[in-house]
Amino acid sequence: MHSSITNVRLAGLAVSTGSLTRDFITDGLALGLDRVMLERTAQTIGLRQRKVAAPGITALDLCEDAARRLLDAAGLDASSIDAVIFVTQTPDHSQPNNASLLHGRLGLATGAAAFDLSLGCSGWVYGLQQAALLCAHGGAARVLLCAGDTLSRLTHAKDRSTDPLFGDAGSAALIERTGLAAAWHFELGADGAGANAIIVPQGGARMPHDSKPLTEIPDLDGNVRHAANLSMQGGEVFNFSLRQAPPAVAAVMRHAHYTVEATDGLVLHQANRFVITTVGRKCGFPAEKTPSDVVERYGNQSSASIPCALIHAFTEPLSARSLRLVLCGFGVGWSWGAVAAEFGPLVIAPIQPYPYSA
Amino acid sequence: MTSAEKLQALQHDVDFFVGATEHTPLATLPNWGSLAVLLVILHCETKYDLVVTGPQVRGCKTVGDLLKLLP
Repeated sequence: MHSSITNVRLAGLAVSTGSLTRDFITDGLALGLDRVMLERTAQTIGLRQRKVAAPGITALDLCEDAARRLLDAAGLDASSIDAVIFVTQTPDHSQPNNASLLHGRLGLATGAAAFDLSLGCSGWVYGLQQAALLCAHGGAARVLLCAGDTLSRLTHAKDRSTDPLFGDAGSAALIERTGLAAAWHFELGADGAGANAIIVPQGGARMPHDSKPLTEIPDLDGNVRHAANLSMQGGEVFNFSLRQAPPAVAAVMRHAHYTVEATDGLVLHQANRFVITTVGRKCGFPAEKTPSDVVERYGNQSSASIPCALIHAFTEPLSARSLRLVLCGFGVGWSWGAVAAEFGPLVIAPIQPYPYSA
Repeated sequence: MTSAEKLQALQHDVDFFVGATEHTPLATLPNWGSLAVLLVILHCETKYDLVVTGPQVRGCKTVGDLLKLLP
């Protein structure tokens, strides 16, 4: 689905990460794995360290911290926000939604709307499109978009196909109505045929948490997980990414009349370096325009990975001027979203762990 | 390409296959596993612009079976 939305701007970005550092090699050695193979995997896939949330810290906490820091940096009061959108697959509760909880924590006006989007790695672009629509056509002047997950809580320590990959983070972004006519060009898509490729089977309404015992089952590679753990078919995820992301990127660039040469950067969902470099190459972008080192510092941060990569790679230029950027997220669902737009100048609060003292 | 040429190209991109022949069972390769499957998928995509799936690769018993997936 294509949409072009005008009269909006990205006004600010912030990301708060988990405060605990996990090291890929150290964790693997603790499980008795071979160092040579671990180093080889680290080199090939691009795994080094990741930041995970301290016990008791949720995506809501991380996003609240990011939102507070962003509002401070922008000199804005929470009462100026007309809507809050919360993108997450790890909400505090099944009811109420995280957006309402954040609405209460920040003290937003009762006239401000609050709703969640249940999306993962594509979620920031989906959320950005919804926020832009609210500003352009929905009566909002300023929308707070929060996106984040604590996926490290869903993996089994002995599942090497998922556990070393994920970091925890929460992001906050401000989207505002403006007189600028330059359009943001979006391409959103989904393919439910791939729904089982990334899944936590147990814990929802279909298979409630107490519906059966959590039996640990090893797979062909010796990875262990139970039905309430995140399960991911790595090969299928990789194929999906190669199949769907490049056409979505090409479509938004075509609508925006962007060329690779005239585009300042392609920011992909930071799944891992292996996926980013391959998808980036297939999109026709040189490596220097495709940031891929965020994931080696923080892990795969689900819907917070794109804002984290924007801050990590583009803080200086984005703070000072406008950049032509193409963003693309892809993952659970299957779902994907791409946007081509001019972003900046904008207020950026630096990437920080939360809580700071942990 | 002949099977020998395909095997040589595979060994060039994925050194897990160095020393293997068409008759080598994949399960006997020292590092056969999810990383190897990913690297095979990447090899097919970059070398042949060919999409192969994880189950297709997993379904192969020998290196020769893998080579049969290639054009």
